[in-house]
Amino acid sequence: MNTTNSQPPATNFSAWGWLIFWAGALAYLPTLLTERALFGMALSNTQLLNLGLTQINLMLISMLGALSLNYLTGCAGLISIGHAAFFATGAMAAAIFDNQLGWPFPLVLLACGLSGALVGTLAGLPSLRVRGLYFVLSTLAVHYVVAYVFLEYQFKFFDVVGIPYAAPRIGDFELNTPVRWYAFLLPLVVLVYLGLKASLQSREGLAMRAMRDHELAATSVGVDVRILRLKAFGLSSAIASVGGALFAYYLSNVTSEAFNISFAIQFIAMIIIGGMGSLPGSLVGAAIWLLLPSIIGGLSPQSNEDGGFIGKMLVENRAQLVQLIFSLLVIVFLIFAPDGVAGLARNLKNRIAAWRQRP
Amino acid sequence: MSPVLDIQGLSVAYNRKGLALEDVHMHVPKGGIVALLGANGAGKTTLIRAVTGLLDLHQGHITAGQVRLSGQIVSGLPAHRLVRLGMGQVPEGRLVFKHLSVEENLRVGAAVLPRAQVQDGLDAVYHLFPRLLERRQQAAGWMSGGEQQMLALGRAMIAKPKLLLVDELSLGLAPLIVRDIYKQLLVIGETLGTAMLVVEQNANLALSFAQSAYLLKQGRVVLSGSAAEVAANPLMKSSYLGEAKVAGESTP
Repeated sequence: MNTTNSQPPATNFSAWGWLIFWAGALAYLPTLLTERALFGMALSNTQLLNLGLTQINLMLISMLGALSLNYLTGCAGLISIGHAAFFATGAMAAAIFDNQLGWPFPLVLLACGLSGALVGTLAGLPSLRVRGLYFVLSTLAVHYVVAYVFLEYQFKFFDVVGIPYAAPRIGDFELNTPVRWYAFLLPLVVLVYLGLKASLQSREGLAMRAMRDHELAATSVGVDVRILRLKAFGLSSAIASVGGALFAYYLSNVTSEAFNISFAIQFIAMIIIGGMGSLPGSLVGAAIWLLLPSIIGGLSPQSNEDGGFIGKMLVENRAQLVQLIFSLLVIVFLIFAPDGVAGLARNLKNRIAAWRQRP
Repeated sequence: MSPVLDIQGLSVAYNRKGLALEDVHMHVPKGGIVALLGANGAGKTTLIRAVTGLLDLHQGHITAGQVRLSGQIVSGLPAHRLVRLGMGQVPEGRLVFKHLSVEENLRVGAAVLPRAQVQDGLDAVYHLFPRLLERRQQAAGWMSGGEQQMLALGRAMIAKPKLLLVDELSLGLAPLIVRDIYKQLLVIGETLGTAMLVVEQNANLALSFAQSAYLLKQGRVVLSGSAAEVAANPLMKSSYLGEAKVAGESTP
C-alpha cells in the first residue's frame, strides 16, 4: 500500500544546491569530454566510459524525440509508431526552407516545427474515429506515406547520396563544432522539458492525462477528447520535427533510410525504459539507449591477439556482441522494472519514506 | 417552471437493431431526486447514455423524441458540451482517473468552472468527504472502492451541475458505505439544489432516498409515481423477479 505523501518538502537550499551542481556539471561536460581530463587530471578512454561529445549531442537530439513521444504516448495515451515520420518531416522541411529557399536558421526551425504540427495533426485525425491497435496501424501508415514522400523528394531535388545540410548559423554563431552544438542543444532540451512539464500541469494537460486514464470518464466530466488528441499530436510532432531537422543538420547528410521503422521504434524503447508518462524518465531512457552501447563497447577488450578462437570471434563480432549484451540488459531491466527508471525511482522513494517513518 | 430534465417520447436503437428504449417520457423536477429502476437489460444505462450524450461512443442513436435540460433541447449535443450546460454524471463502475491524484481528479472535474471558483469547489468537496482531504495527494487508483466512489461523486458535483446522473452507485460496495454515500447525496441535493436521477439495482435502497421513481421494463416505462406508490405496486416485484413468481398478476 502506498504511504501518503508525508515526506518533508525539499528545502529551498538543497533544491538550489542541486540545481547549481547539475548546471555546473553540465557546463563542464564539454570541457571534460574534449580535453579528456578532469580539472587537469588526464582520464583514460575507459574512465570516460568511451563517451564523446558527439554521442552526447545525438543523445540530446534523441531526447527531443523521447520527450515528445512520451508526451503523446505516456501522457495522452496515444501509441504512435510514426515518430520517425515526424523526424523525417523536420529533415525535409529543413531541406526545403534552408537548402532551397535559403531562410535563416531560426526561421527554418520555426517552419520545421509548424510543418511537424501540421503533419502531426493530420496524422492524428484517424484518432477521432479509431482506437487502440487500429490507431497504431494508422500511424504506421503515416510512417510509410512520409517515408515515400521523403524518398521522392530526395530523388527529385537531390540524389542517391542524400540531402546535404550546411552547418547552421545563428547570427555569427555557427554550429560547426560539437561544443557549439552542445551549447545550443542543451538549453533547447531544457526549454522543451520545462515547456512540456508546464503543459502537463495546466488544465489541458490535466484533462489530457485524465483522457489517458479513462476516455469515457473524461468525456463525462466535460473534456473534449477529440480536440485534445489533435492538440497532443500537433505539439508532439512539432517537437519531433524540430528534433529531426537538428538531427539532419548534425549529421550534415541524411537519406530516406535514416528514418526507417526501427528509428521510430527506438523512441518507443526509450520511453518504455525510462518510464511511460514520465518526462524525466524520457531523458534517462534516451540517455541509456544512446550511451549504453558505447559504454559496453568501451568495457570490452580493445584488442586481443592471443585470445584464441573465442577471443578472435569476440573482437571480430564486437558490434553484434555489444547489441546482444545491450538487448539482454534491456530485457532484464524491464523484467525487474516494468515501469522503467521512473517506476524504479518511485518505488525507491516510497521505500525510503517508509523506512524513515519506522518507529 | 420547466423541469430540470424533461424527456419526451425518447426512442433509442443500437446499430440499427431493435429499439433499446421506446417512447420514454420522464421528468425530473428542480431539486428532486428521482429513482430509475429496472432489472438488467431494461434500458436504464441506455437512458443515461442518451441523456448524457454518450450514445455515439456505444454506436447507439436516438431515433425519436427529445431530451430537454432546463427547457433547452440537448439531445444530439456531444457529451462534453452537455457538462458545460449543467449535466453532471457519476458513471457506472466509478471510473476515477487512476494515475492522477485525488486532487487532480477533482481539478479535472472543476475545469468547467472559472479559475477563481476552483478552490471553493475543492473545499466544498473536502467538506462533504473529509476522507478525500486526507488522501488528496494519493493516486486515485489505489484507494478503496468506497473512496473511489466518493471521488467520482465529488468530481461530478464540483462543477455545480443542475442535474446529476448517478449510475449504479452501490455496485460492489459494502451496504454501510453505500448508505453513507447516499446520505451525502441528499446533502448535496439540499445544499446545492441539484436535481438527481439515480439509477439503482437495489430498488429498496433507491426508493428510500428518492421522492419519485420510474420503472423501466424492456425499454418502456411501465410504472411511475411517488416512491411510496411505486414501492407498493406489485409490478415492481414482477419486473425484478419475473412473471411466474407473482401469483395473480395478469400479464400486460
